[in-house]
Amino acid sequence: MIEFAHVTRTYGPKVAVSDLTLAIPRGELFALLGPNGAGKTTTIRMLVGLLQPSRGTIRVCDNDVVRDPRAAHLHVGYVPDEPCLYDKLTGREFLWFIADMFGMPRRLAGSRIDREIEHFELADFADDLCESCSLGMRQRLVFAASLLHDPDVLVLDEPMVGLDPRSVKIVKDLLTERTREGMTVFMSTHTLAMAEELADRVGIMVRGQLRFLGTVPELREQMSLEATSLEQLYLELTSPRRRASGDAP
Amino acid sequence: MTPVAGGRSPRERAAPTATLLTVEAESRLFLRLRTTVAWHTLRGMLAGARLRLGLVAVLSAMFWVSLYGLFGEAFVFLESLHAEVVPLLFNTFFSSLMVMLVFSAGILVYSGLFCSPESRLLLTLPARAEAVFAHKFQEALWFSCWGFVLLGSPMLVAYGAIRDAGWLYFVLVVPFMVSFAVIPATIGAICCLALVAWMPRLRIHAFSAAVAAVCLGGLWLGWSFVGRSPADPLSPAWFERTFARLAITEQKLLPSWWLSSGLIEAALAGGEGDESGTAIAEAIRFLALLLANAMFLQLLAGWLARRAYRRGYSELCAEVPARRRRRMARFDRALAGTGPGLGRPLRLLLAKDLQIFRRDASQWSQFVIFFGLLGFYFLNLRSFHYNAAYASMIGFLNVAVVGLILSTFTTRFVYPMISLEGRRFWILGLLPVHRDQIVWSKFVFAFVSGLVPCTILVALSDSMLGLRWPLVIQHEICCVVLCAGLAGIAVGLGARMPDLREPSPAKISSGFGGTLCLVISSLFIMVVVLVAAVPTHLGLLARAIGQGGDPARRLLAWTAGPQGTAASVALVIAAGLVATFLPLRLGLLAFRRLEP
Repeated sequence: MIEFAHVTRTYGPKVAVSDLTLAIPRGELFALLGPNGAGKTTTIRMLVGLLQPSRGTIRVCDNDVVRDPRAAHLHVGYVPDEPCLYDKLTGREFLWFIADMFGMPRRLAGSRIDREIEHFELADFADDLCESCSLGMRQRLVFAASLLHDPDVLVLDEPMVGLDPRSVKIVKDLLTERTREGMTVFMSTHTLAMAEELADRVGIMVRGQLRFLGTVPELREQMSLEATSLEQLYLELTSPRRRASGDAP
Repeated sequence: MTPVAGGRSPRERAAPTATLLTVEAESRLFLRLRTTVAWHTLRGMLAGARLRLGLVAVLSAMFWVSLYGLFGEAFVFLESLHAEVVPLLFNTFFSSLMVMLVFSAGILVYSGLFCSPESRLLLTLPARAEAVFAHKFQEALWFSCWGFVLLGSPMLVAYGAIRDAGWLYFVLVVPFMVSFAVIPATIGAICCLALVAWMPRLRIHAFSAAVAAVCLGGLWLGWSFVGRSPADPLSPAWFERTFARLAITEQKLLPSWWLSSGLIEAALAGGEGDESGTAIAEAIRFLALLLANAMFLQLLAGWLARRAYRRGYSELCAEVPARRRRRMARFDRALAGTGPGLGRPLRLLLAKDLQIFRRDASQWSQFVIFFGLLGFYFLNLRSFHYNAAYASMIGFLNVAVVGLILSTFTTRFVYPMISLEGRRFWILGLLPVHRDQIVWSKFVFAFVSGLVPCTILVALSDSMLGLRWPLVIQHEICCVVLCAGLAGIAVGLGARMPDLREPSPAKISSGFGGTLCLVISSLFIMVVVLVAAVPTHLGLLARAIGQGGDPARRLLAWTAGPQGTAASVALVIAAGLVATFLPLRLGLLAFRRLEP
């Protein structure tokens, strides 16, 4: 579903992502973890087509993100870390714009918009201008927009920022349900508890390199630390001592 | 249409929910988006910013009518004396606009395509790169051309009216202007796309080099007209030399030439007979030429956007911000550390505002451009050899111009300063700084940063006009009063009506408070300049009508004498004190009570 093949991205002399090779199959919820500046956002920007890799290829549902971005985007729903909306559109108008951009038939779009408005409890302010929405409302609106076309791949960059506990619960339930139905989720987060709770596999990135790829029990096993939380494993793996020595787990 | 679903999983076996749009469907969608956004913006303005909307409409109408009258008079004068000059003036006007449109559209396309959150959203959707480009280009075209429409339309309508042009001329004016404007705007957009995609690191250098070349060319042309012309300015010989130099704008390959030639032909088409028919054919030929070139350039830009837009966006995203060199750190430290400890918080706030000002190129570059152009104009004042009466009047007008330019800066940059502290208010709120000091620091910053260039410019203007010392001192007093008053109005109103939720200074300054600030500032400038100019001009009047014993003449003589001048200066200072301290007092009171 998602394939990174030897992907490298440099910013001038700095290597932000180094030789990333990663395949995420259908129906998997993958969480990408790592300290600030590890290359998570760069990876996500490359996946959604905002950045082009310096080397390597990225494919989404067999579509090359650089060569055929439109075909790849048809399969992708994206929730960025900073929600971007049109201030002078109402929430409902924004959802219609996104549905139209994905070429959805009118009747289907109408029913999906109603479904997502209900799902994310947006009914009270769906007809208000986006400029009057709070950060949490905007984030819920972006979630709703990203799911309108039932994407095969959902890309989330710090998805829980600004959401209240109830909205977090809605999102968690939704992710579990949709991945069970076959949707692939690629999520970057600092919320380790959520990654531990939801993710089928985690990837830990440090200084542009994928230091670990696997399940949380596998990480425990590799680091020979029994009965520890993902948080402790993560802190151990990304500790300055290990980062300086470049140790593998 | 490309269906998404393949045939492998239950999800994919379902009916396709997402399909790629056709070019026409994408265009319709973007058009609908723009219409909806425009409608909501207009409705919002009608509901919450009627004063601003009304002011903009009334002032634009007044501006248009004044320009129409001015151009009408100018065309009547030219028709009676030098009708052959009109094509040259059209060519000069349109070729200058063409250069400006290239740059303004290039800058607007750059910010729309590469810096806006909207483009980041659109690039993650299945939209064609060229459709996103076309959407943002149309936005840039609108923003860069409204000035052209406001300046060009009264001129062209006046020309048609003076030439008794037929209806066809007035019908053709719009397509002529639109097709012409598209050409330089598209050239600017093409340059922007190519620079960002293939020279991302050198884009600022390349752009600066182009701007510098155009500025140098303009300065050379301006200097050659007034600076080193052996003939007296405005004499027939001077006009001949000037027109000979302007002939450079009559190149037949320039779209501005096609536009002016087409319009002149269209204006000839009002009559009857073969001549009129030929003129219509010629006008339509020029219009077709403009349209064909505009469409060709649009095709080229679309092709380039398809190839280069995503690549350019990616290159910009990957840019590593340059590290700041701490060249001014010593100055900032000295500013903060010098003087008594009591004023240290104020000086620290000042140093912070200075750092932000230095790092915000949009602020100081506009400062440099506007005051630089004004300085260039003042430097050439001596070439016009004004007599004393004219020189005095022009000296006061120059003070007013300096004030008006300063008022646009105080409204645009100083007025939003307090509001912009809103998001950082928790930092200032937790510091041992009295709120009054925040307001005073903004005032001192605005006052000093306006005072230095304005007093220098007024001194330059007076020196070039050869004014007497008493008048120079009077102008400088006016200038100081204007700087203090304008800073007081902007800071006071900014503190009285802060918008702590809005992060964009442009939006803050274009709101109700910003508009009010601009209007009050303009009125203040008018009051100061009029009050200061009265004695001087009454003195000229008194000299013209001679001495006499009647009370009116005695009053005239008193007003024009030292007592009158002293009274006017006192009134100016009083007006300045009111304009400075009344808004500041209101602002301080409101800011003390502010709950962010």
